[in-house]
Amino acid sequence: MIAIKDLRKSYNSHEALKGISFNIKEGEFYGLLGPNGAGKTTTISIMSSILTPDSGEVLINGNNIYTHPNESKRIIGVVPQEIALYNELTAEENLWFWGGLYDVPKIELKKRIDEVLTLFGLSERRKDKVSTYSGGMKRRINIAAALLHQPRIVFMDEPTVGIDPQSRNLIFEVIEKLHSNGMTIVYTTHYMEEAERFCDRIGIIDNGQIIAEGTLDELRKSSSAKETIVITFNNLNDDKVQKIQSFWKDCNHTDDKIYFYTSDLKTELSKIISQCSDAGADIHNIEIKKVNLETVFLSLTGKQLRD
Amino acid sequence: MIKLTIKDLRLFFKDKRSMLLSFALPIALITLFALAFGGAGQGKKDTKISMQVSDLDQTPSSASAMQVLDSLKNVELLKMPLEKAQENIKKGDQACVLVIHKGFSDSLTAGKELPLELQYDEAQEIQVGLLQQSLIPTIAMLPFNIGNPKAVMRNRFDKMVPGASDTVKQNIQHKSDGLFDAITMGEMQSDGNDNAGAGLFGGDIKMTKLVAAEKDNSLGLVQAVAGTAVMMLLFSVVGIGAGILDEKQEGTLKRLLYTPMNPIKILFGKMISANVISIFQLVVMFLFASLVFGLDIYSHLSGLIITIVATAFACSAFGVFLASFAKSRQQVQGLSTLIILVMSAIGGSMMPIFFMPAFMQKIAVISVNFWSIQSFYDIFWRNLPITSGTFLSRILVLLLIGTILNSLAVVLFRKNILKLS
Repeated sequence: MIAIKDLRKSYNSHEALKGISFNIKEGEFYGLLGPNGAGKTTTISIMSSILTPDSGEVLINGNNIYTHPNESKRIIGVVPQEIALYNELTAEENLWFWGGLYDVPKIELKKRIDEVLTLFGLSERRKDKVSTYSGGMKRRINIAAALLHQPRIVFMDEPTVGIDPQSRNLIFEVIEKLHSNGMTIVYTTHYMEEAERFCDRIGIIDNGQIIAEGTLDELRKSSSAKETIVITFNNLNDDKVQKIQSFWKDCNHTDDKIYFYTSDLKTELSKIISQCSDAGADIHNIEIKKVNLETVFLSLTGKQLRD
Repeated sequence: MIKLTIKDLRLFFKDKRSMLLSFALPIALITLFALAFGGAGQGKKDTKISMQVSDLDQTPSSASAMQVLDSLKNVELLKMPLEKAQENIKKGDQACVLVIHKGFSDSLTAGKELPLELQYDEAQEIQVGLLQQSLIPTIAMLPFNIGNPKAVMRNRFDKMVPGASDTVKQNIQHKSDGLFDAITMGEMQSDGNDNAGAGLFGGDIKMTKLVAAEKDNSLGLVQAVAGTAVMMLLFSVVGIGAGILDEKQEGTLKRLLYTPMNPIKILFGKMISANVISIFQLVVMFLFASLVFGLDIYSHLSGLIITIVATAFACSAFGVFLASFAKSRQQVQGLSTLIILVMSAIGGSMMPIFFMPAFMQKIAVISVNFWSIQSFYDIFWRNLPITSGTFLSRILVLLLIGTILNSLAVVLFRKNILKLS
């Protein structure tokens, strides 16, 4: 459905994209993760054909988006990072305007406006100016405006930034519904839980390059990230810490806790517990932190996602 | 494009600040200026006023008369063939021409009424009035300076007392001749600006309106309405044009680029909405002036419509150009305030350009205000038909300004706005 081939883009001397390539299948939910300045928005802008790459190409449905921009734009919906709406117009007026730009017939557009307003729970506020909306409500209309021409592909650039839990849950439900209806979604986010919840595959982008790509399981396996066993002790002292560290090198000690890192939790857990008992340490609590996207990301980039 | 236009119109009419700037403020200023211009022209004695002179007599006496007129401190004399001078008046480039007709020299020698005629543009009555204040006393004193005062006195007396006997006439003549002998011996020397004899000896000039208004539209009113409307229009269209920068800042421009619409249509949409709002604003201004101050707009409807459309086109292009040129709304506001105030000052929005020094009148042509206001004068004062070359040339200049600025805006929009979004 989407093929990105060796995209390169520089701003003066800064190389924003250093040859990015990836493919997205029809109906797939693809997450693009990366810290600020990694090149996510540049990639989305090029894929939306509003930015020209220095080299490389983007094929949507087999069509090069620069030679067939209109065909591509008609099947793509873009939810921008910023709330790109006219504040002084009502929600309904905004939707009429944005939908109208795709030449959706009036009767059909009216039907779709009613549908999206209902879908996003804003039917009763349709006649209110967007300026009177809460941040979450604005986000909902921001997404709704990208769906009126019924695109087959939607690019969502951080669509849930800074919103209340109620709006977030509603947006999640809508996104899941869109995906289950077969829509291809490209999603950028800072929130790991969103990526873990929605994405079929994830591309991790850093310094203008895709440094890892795959399903969540594939990323876990391919990364050097280890699972963590956090044991809290009742009677921990320096002598006991020394004894424990002598048999388990890959660990950290803070206050009454010791963090043990392992790549084979199942076999190592009982061994660690037994040796802690041998060292005379009285175990109060055991907590296991499994490898998640956050730790994978950290191990791959050396950065927190929100850096 | 139409959808963009409709959206912009909706946004405009929902924006209370824009409405205030576009309608309430100009109406308040028109009221203020209209009232203030009632006393226009006073206290302007020190302003140098240009006056064309056509010498049809071509005698040493007429040349001497021109020398005397040229020595007037507040008059700039422009020697001009009559046809050219009349053309200048019709175009509105000059207010009047003093015609020295054939027979001037003979009349001067014989002491008869001088064949002088001031042909003028009624639209510039204030300027002509100021000119007359200097001209009449000087002309009245011409017989004393370059002619035959005794003969003048004889003719005057004949007119004043037509039934007097020859003895009485000779007696008075003798006394007046003695008086003039005393004057020429230096007891009452004149430097050409002396008004001493003006009241007694006349100084009549035949006044002919070369260009005259049909209806009673006062100059102050036309000036107030046209000047203020154009100036305020410039301010409001800059605000509309700057909407492009707001769209860029708020992300809606980027979102527009995601759609299948050709990017340049975004600018065209902005141009159309700026034009529509400009036309609407000017229509409201002139309707207000008609209803409240009695400006006769209905006798000149076709010319008014053409001028409004051309003015709206030029002004809206200016607004869109400035927005495409600048990189932020703040930059537009700073630039526009400066440029508009300067253009309005030199272009005649704040005061009629004939109150300004000659060099200022020459540089006025660089201002949109000048061409627009002069077109309104053509309609309401000079009563030029819409087929008149003068009127059409001004309209053409306005359209040309609009076309050039719009073209530049397209280039700058691609270079600045689209690149940055």
